[in-house]
Amino acid sequence: MNQNASTAGTKPAKEAKPEAMQTLELTDNEATVGQCFTDKPKMSMRNVNVFYEDKQAIHDVSVDIAKNEVIAMIGPSGCGKSTFLRSLNRMNDTVDGCRVEGKICMDGEDLYAPKLDVVELRARVGMVFQKPNPFPKSIYDNVAYGPKLHGLADSRVDLDEIVEKSLRKASLWDEVKERLHQAGTGLSGGQQQRLCIARAIAVSPEMILMDEPCSALDPIATAKIEELIEELSENFTIAIVTHSMQQAARVSHRTAYFHLGRLIEVNPTEQVFTMPAHRLTEAYITGRFG
Amino acid sequence: MSKSVDNLEKIRKSLSRRNRAEKRFRFYGVTAVLIGLAAVMLLFTDIVSKGHGAFRIAYLQLDITYDQDLIGIDNLTDPQQLALGNWQAMPKVSLRNQFPDVSGRKDKRSLYGLVSNGAGFDLKDRLLENPLLLGDSETLWVLADDDIDTYYKSWLDGEPYDARLTAKQVAWIHELHDQGKIRLQFNSNLFTRGDSREPEQAGIRGAVMGSLLTLILTLLLSFPIGVSAAIYLEEFAPKNAWTDFIEVNINNLAAVPSIIFGLLGLAIFINFFHVPRSVPIVGGLVLTLMTLPTIIITSRAAIKSVPPSIREAALGMGASKYQMVLHHVLPLALPGMLTGAIIGMAQALGESAPLLMIGMVAFIVDIPGGFSDPATVLPVQIFLWADSPERAFIEKTSAAIMVLLSFLIIMNTSAVWLRKRLERRW
Amino acid sequence: MDKMKFENHYMKQFDEELEEIRTRLMEMGGKVEQQLQNAIRAVSDADSKLAEEVIKEEKFVDEMEVDIDEACILIIARRQPAASDLRLVMMVTKAVNDLERIGDEAKKIANHAVILAGESKTSEGYTEVRHLGQSVVSMLSNALDAFARFDVDAAMRTIEEDKQIDLDYKTALRELVTYMMEDPRSISRAINILWVVRSLERIGDHAKNLCEQIVFVVKGKDIRHQ
Repeated sequence: MNQNASTAGTKPAKEAKPEAMQTLELTDNEATVGQCFTDKPKMSMRNVNVFYEDKQAIHDVSVDIAKNEVIAMIGPSGCGKSTFLRSLNRMNDTVDGCRVEGKICMDGEDLYAPKLDVVELRARVGMVFQKPNPFPKSIYDNVAYGPKLHGLADSRVDLDEIVEKSLRKASLWDEVKERLHQAGTGLSGGQQQRLCIARAIAVSPEMILMDEPCSALDPIATAKIEELIEELSENFTIAIVTHSMQQAARVSHRTAYFHLGRLIEVNPTEQVFTMPAHRLTEAYITGRFG
Repeated sequence: MSKSVDNLEKIRKSLSRRNRAEKRFRFYGVTAVLIGLAAVMLLFTDIVSKGHGAFRIAYLQLDITYDQDLIGIDNLTDPQQLALGNWQAMPKVSLRNQFPDVSGRKDKRSLYGLVSNGAGFDLKDRLLENPLLLGDSETLWVLADDDIDTYYKSWLDGEPYDARLTAKQVAWIHELHDQGKIRLQFNSNLFTRGDSREPEQAGIRGAVMGSLLTLILTLLLSFPIGVSAAIYLEEFAPKNAWTDFIEVNINNLAAVPSIIFGLLGLAIFINFFHVPRSVPIVGGLVLTLMTLPTIIITSRAAIKSVPPSIREAALGMGASKYQMVLHHVLPLALPGMLTGAIIGMAQALGESAPLLMIGMVAFIVDIPGGFSDPATVLPVQIFLWADSPERAFIEKTSAAIMVLLSFLIIMNTSAVWLRKRLERRW
Repeated sequence: MDKMKFENHYMKQFDEELEEIRTRLMEMGGKVEQQLQNAIRAVSDADSKLAEEVIKEEKFVDEMEVDIDEACILIIARRQPAASDLRLVMMVTKAVNDLERIGDEAKKIANHAVILAGESKTSEGYTEVRHLGQSVVSMLSNALDAFARFDVDAAMRTIEEDKQIDLDYKTALRELVTYMMEDPRSISRAINILWVVRSLERIGDHAKNLCEQIVFVVKGKDIRHQ
C-alpha cells in the first residue's frame, strides 16, 4: 500500500498532452488516455488492482472522480467496470477471495484503512443495483430502513419527513404517497428502482454508485431514471456502470472506458462520443471489433 | 420450394412420434402416481379395518354391592386398608348372583374370567369418588375381559373366535347378550390409560405423553441449534476445507441409520453422563442428534433461497452482516426453516429404533408427568403391542398406528399450511 | 498515416450502409466534376449544345443530393453512429451540400456559355477562363481523391491550392477590367466571362470546404475559419 502511495504521484498518465488529444492521436499505450485527474477529487484512486483469488480483474487503475460529477463506466462484459464500481464502497469485501490493492481515497481518507468501518463507508457511499431489489416490506419501511439503521431520525415525525423528502427527490412521492404502507415489491420495475434510489438517498450519502440501474427497465422507466440522475447530480456525486453507450452519452459528464480490466480512456463524454482518443474506445463505441 | 415441403412432411412425421412419446410418458407418470395412491389406500384400509374395533370395547352390566365386609374395609381414608382391600370380590359376587347355578372351582374361575382383572380397581376408583356409595348397591357397566371382548366382537361380525373360551363362557355370553347385559361402548380407556398387560385395560396415554415430552425437548434443542448452525455455516463461516468437511459430515449424518444414534446416546448420555434410562430427557437428546442434520440441511436450503439481491441491498445500505441476517435473511428463510423443523419432528415422532437402545422400550404403566419420568413413545408402544401374544393387542396395535399416523398427517399438513402462510413473494 | 476504416462493425449492414453513402458521394463528386469540365469546355469552345446538356443534367445532381441526405438521416436514426462513424455521416451531409453548390455553379457557367456562344467569336478572356478552369477542376479532383483515400495530407495540400486560385481570380479580374477599358464594346461579353470566373472561384471555395471536412473526419478537428 505504502509503496503504491509513493508511486501514485509520479505516474504519468498522459495528462500532459491535451493538444495531442484534440488532434486525435490513436494510441495503443497501456497507460490510461485522457483527463484522469482533477484538482479537488471527491474520490481518488491510484494504482488500484483487484484480484479474485489468483485472477486479476482490475489492472492498475488510477482516476479521480470530481464532486457532483456523473461519471459513466462503459466497456464490454467482464471488463471489470462493475468490479471497479464495487471496490468504491467495498461491496467486494463480501466476495470470498477478493483482494484490493492500491489506494482508494474519499476526501483524502483511505477507504481501505484498517480502522475505517465499512458500515460508515456504505452510509456515505450508497448503491443502486442492476435488478431493482426493494426489501419485501412496505414502501415506507424500505426508505426508512437506512435512517433507522444508522439512527438518523430522532422521532417518528423526523422519520416521516426523511421518507417523504427521499421519495420526493427520487420523484416517486406523487405515485406512492397514497400507499406508503403497501409492499414495495408491488410496484412496477421502474418504480421499484426509483424506490431503491430513494432508499439509497435517505441516508444522505455523499456519493451514489449505480450498477446498470436501467438494464431491467423499459425505455420510459429508463428515461425517468436518467432524468433523476441528472437532478441528483446537483447534490450527489454519481458513478454509474452501464451497458448502454447511449445512456452514458445522455447522463454522464465524463466517460471511462474499461477493457479487459484496464482503464483505457477517461474523457469528457462529449469527446468520447465524437472523437475518442483511444483506438479501443473508438472500436467499442462504434460497435466494431477492435 | 419442394425442399420446404419435404421438411414440413418430415416435421409432421416426427411430430406424431413426439406426441405419442409424450402421451406414453404422461401415462407412465399417472400410473406411477396411481400405484402409489393404491399402496397408501391399501395400507390405510388394512390398518383401519384391523384397528377400528379397538375404539369400542365390551362391557357387562352387573349389579354391584359395595359391601364393606366383602371388600374388607371400614375407612375409605386409610391407605393401608385401600391397598389390601379385596376389590375384585365385588364383580365376582355380582357374577355369582347373575349365574347362581354355577358351581365347582373350575367353572367359578371361568365365570370370574368374564370381567376384566382390573374391574375391581375401577369400582374402587368409583367408590373413592363417591364415598356415600359404601354399603349401597347399584347397576353398572363393568369392563369385560379381553377374551370376552374379542369373542363378542367377532361373534357380532359373524366369524366367532372362541379358541380361548370354554363352552360355558360362550353360553354365558349368549345369555348375557340375550338379556341385553353385554354391549360394546366407546373405549375411553384407550386414550386415558397407560400400558397394561391386560389388553382391555391398555391405553396409549402414556405413550402419547412420552412422545409429547420427548418431542418438546427435541424441538427446544434441535431448532435453535440447527438454525444457528445453518446460519453460521451459510453466512459467516469461511469457505475452506474445514467447512467443506463439516458440510460433508452433516450430509452423511442425515443418512446414518437411526439406531446408530441410539447406540451413541447409550454410550454418551447414559454410560458417560449417567442420565437415567427410559426417560424423555435422554430420548429427546438422542432424537435431537438425529433431527439436527435434517434441520440444518433444510435451514441452509431456506437461507440459500433468499435472493442475493436482498442481501446486497441490505449490505449496500450499511447493514452489518448480523443485521442483514437478522432483518432480512432470517424472516425470509423462516417459513422454510419451520417446514424443515416440522418434517424433522415428524421423523422424530415416528422413530423407534434409537429409543430401543436407550431403554424407552420398557414396560411402563404409569403416565409420565415430566421429563425425568420413565416413559415410552408411540412407535415403541406399537412395537411392544405388535409383539404381545394376546389377540386383542392386534386391533390395539392398529389403533395406535392410526393415532400415530393422524399426528404425522397433522404435522405435515401444518408444515404445508405454515409455508403457504408465511411465504413471501419477491 | 491514420487509416480510416468504415468496416468491421459487429453489424455488417452498418458497414454496407456507410460504404454506400461513401460510394454515392464519390459518384456525385464524379458527376459534378464532369459537369464542371463540360461547362468550362462549353465556354472555351463556345459550344452551346454542350452547355445546354450541362444545364439539363444539373437536376440529376440535385436528385443525388436528396438521396444521399436521406440515406444519412436513416443511418443516424437507425444506427446512432458515434465517433468516427458520426463524423463521417456528418461530413457526408455537408459534402453533399458543397457538391450540389458546385453543380449549381457549373450550371451558371453553362448559362453564361450559352450567352457567350451567341455573341462574337473573339477569344479575349478565354485564356483566363481556361487557366482558372484547369486549376479549379484539378483542385476538385484532388479533393475528391483525398476523400476517396481519407488522405489528410492531400487534403491539406489541396486547401493550399485555393490560395493560388484566389490569386489567379484576382489576376483574371484585372485582365477583364483591362479589356473593358480598352474596348467598351466588349463590356457585356467581359461581364459574362467575369461571372464565369467568379463561379470558378466559388467552386474553389467549395472544394476547400470539402477538404476541411476530410480533415474533420480523420482528425476529429474542425479547421474551418482558421
